[in-house]
Amino acid sequence: MMYLGAESVFVGSGIFKSSDPSNRAKAIVEATTYYDDYDKLVEVSMGLKDAMEGLDISDIPEESLMQNRGW
Amino acid sequence: MKIGVLSLQGDYLNHINTLKELDISYCKVRYSSDFDCIDGLIIPGGESTAIYNLIEKENLYDKILEFVNTKPVYGTCAGLILLSKVILNNNYAKNIKSFNALDIEIERNGWGRQINSFIEEVKIKPFNEKFRAIFIRAPKIKSVNKDVEVLSEFKGTPIMVRKDNILGTTFHPELTNDIRIHNYFSNIVENHKVLC
Repeated sequence: MMYLGAESVFVGSGIFKSSDPSNRAKAIVEATTYYDDYDKLVEVSMGLKDAMEGLDISDIPEESLMQNRGW
Repeated sequence: MKIGVLSLQGDYLNHINTLKELDISYCKVRYSSDFDCIDGLIIPGGESTAIYNLIEKENLYDKILEFVNTKPVYGTCAGLILLSKVILNNNYAKNIKSFNALDIEIERNGWGRQINSFIEEVKIKPFNEKFRAIFIRAPKIKSVNKDVEVLSEFKGTPIMVRKDNILGTTFHPELTNDIRIHNYFSNIVENHKVLC
């Protein structure tokens, strides 16, 4: 996102649903600031616990699917 | 002459693009060593607490303070908040320790919330033509000591101030195509360089 010219990155469930939200949030903040410094990216990515688990679309109940919301 | 742009958070890229437009050498400033090769510094707009947290995290506070005390610095919006002696409405998660470069009182979000952001054509002392000033959740300067020069006002409130080598605006010239304020700052940097 930063390489595309974004000023900031908005992350929600990627942080809250990870196994260690506080450290992941800090890492994402620093990774955003130092997005083009690869040594720094390695440093801030070390020691993080599991990321948010992905969801299989077939496991999501019909009423929770985004594409069916609204009118 | 080279101007550094503090590039921790906020719209530093827009400042860099304006400097490019003026054909001025620039560099992103994110580490202590970045200060060695620059003659002036721009602290951009963004979110002042976020910028301050990253300054602390990277141990840049003393380096910036030393720079502010000796070289030209221009702060826009959040950048100006960090340069102001007294920060009002500074009671969020963490208090910002300012660089105390301009003897003014500034109120964070002083013009209101995001929805109250506005654009106004304003008169700026050194320029003949008006300037399209963009205020985004802008801070408001509540008082100015007499040693600080007010270069522009809107509704009786200072919006552009200067003291010697320190310049500040509560609005964002880097979001317009108007290069005059950056040019004005680069002249301050150039003159300061000649004197030293």
